[in-house]
Amino acid sequence: MKRMTAFCALCFLLVAGGNTFADIARPSPSPQPGKVIFHTSMTVIPDKNARDARLQISQDSLNELKAALANTSADSSLRQRIANSPTRTVIAGLCLFLSLSIGGIWLMRSGQPRGQKTVALLLLGVGVVGAAAIITQANAGPPPSYQWRNLSQNLNANKPTYASVDIEILPEGYGMKLVVPVKSQ
Amino acid sequence: MQRSLDINLQTWRLGQRARSRNGVRLFAVSVIACACLSAALATWLPLQLSIVTVFLFAGPHNWFEFRYFLMRLPVRFGRSRNFFIAAFAGIGLLTTGYLALPLLYNFTSWSGGAWFMVLASWNTLLLLWLGLLVWLRGRNKRRSDWSWAIPTALALSSLNWLAPEFFSLAIVYLHPLVALWFLDRHLRRTRPEWLRAYHQCLVLVAVLLAGIVLKLTQTPALPDDNGLFWRITQHSGAQLLPGVSSHLLVSVHLFLEMLHYGVWIVALPLIVPATLRAKQKRKRIWEVKAVGIASHPRGFPKLVGAALLLGAFVVVALWFGFSIDYSTTRDIYFTVAIAHVLAEAPFLLKML
Repeated sequence: MKRMTAFCALCFLLVAGGNTFADIARPSPSPQPGKVIFHTSMTVIPDKNARDARLQISQDSLNELKAALANTSADSSLRQRIANSPTRTVIAGLCLFLSLSIGGIWLMRSGQPRGQKTVALLLLGVGVVGAAAIITQANAGPPPSYQWRNLSQNLNANKPTYASVDIEILPEGYGMKLVVPVKSQ
Repeated sequence: MQRSLDINLQTWRLGQRARSRNGVRLFAVSVIACACLSAALATWLPLQLSIVTVFLFAGPHNWFEFRYFLMRLPVRFGRSRNFFIAAFAGIGLLTTGYLALPLLYNFTSWSGGAWFMVLASWNTLLLLWLGLLVWLRGRNKRRSDWSWAIPTALALSSLNWLAPEFFSLAIVYLHPLVALWFLDRHLRRTRPEWLRAYHQCLVLVAVLLAGIVLKLTQTPALPDDNGLFWRITQHSGAQLLPGVSSHLLVSVHLFLEMLHYGVWIVALPLIVPATLRAKQKRKRIWEVKAVGIASHPRGFPKLVGAALLLGAFVVVALWFGFSIDYSTTRDIYFTVAIAHVLAEAPFLLKML
């Protein structure tokens, strides 16, 4: 009976172990995503005479980087700065409200049907173009990868490549990595 | 007798046409040469030429601009009294406010957000002042209503509050273009037959600008390892637009600045008077009587003469300052120069 109990226990352990992958080592925690703290530009310059790779940072950029590191919670992107500044948003909204109100009153009192039609058409046109731009994301501009598209050709031709770069702080690892967007053509 | 008079009149008309054609040619060739040379030099040596052009032309162009404004100033304001009061009060207050900004920066420890608020407030005051000026100017016009200026100024203020630093950068790039507008209005009044050629030259300027952008988009950033070069790249917006090559920014700004200097120093005071008809009396640049408010019987010749002399003294002092300490003088100049940027608005509006 004892043997039977031990055998059942062993079988249970094996089945449970197999199902729960208990024989596999504990996976390392998934790497935390990096946090972009600073957006700047970078120039990759191939140099035949250089003995080692060098990362050159201007004093100004270094100061900005230090300031960004000191206050990593404050993202410098325009959208976030606007979102983080309710006072400015309120004043901007107030100005827009006054603009539309006064503009509407002026339009009604102007008494020039031709002018009213022109302004109405202009507003309608701006609205349609704006809505179309937002829907199609036409105001997004070219992606940052566009500036990196000629990197390999430039390296082969011994030419510099100038493009924007996000400086990202990773919680783990050592050294520096340059991740370059590459699109298959 | 009648026939001989007709022949003389025809000969006179032909002579006039030939002179006018020659004037247009001289003007167009000068503008094209200036624009092409400016574009080539601005692309080739942006930092070095920025230093040289500011050294040589910053002060003189302000003197010529001052003289031009004096020439356009009426002896009596008449119906434009409110317009000129608002204009001069705005120039005084906004310039004082702008000059106070660096002092505040040195003596206070405000956060970056607070500085954005200060900058946005100054920009808003500027826009509201411009809106007021346009509205007041519109009131002097019988057939048109320029009340749209107020809602437009408020809408622009709204955009300014979202990104005040970009609004300030826009002023840096748009201000040189105002000179081209001045020239357009001046030609419309004095040489309407030149306008077509001038507009064709403006198309060339746009093409040159597009060429500079295309050529320099992929160029590496300019070296800004010393204080002066750093100031020049910052002035052109290298910090605000890190994705754009600072070479491109400095070159475009320098090209526009050179055109600006060209209009104020060459086109308006030299080219236009050089093609005056034979019977029109040419007046020298330094002649005080060339200024309307000095030559008028009820004018102020002594005051105008003293102001122009003081202006010439400031130009020499500026050259001296640049020779002694270029960076500091450049900083002071570009801070004080906001006054001439502001002064252009009312005088341009008076010409519309």
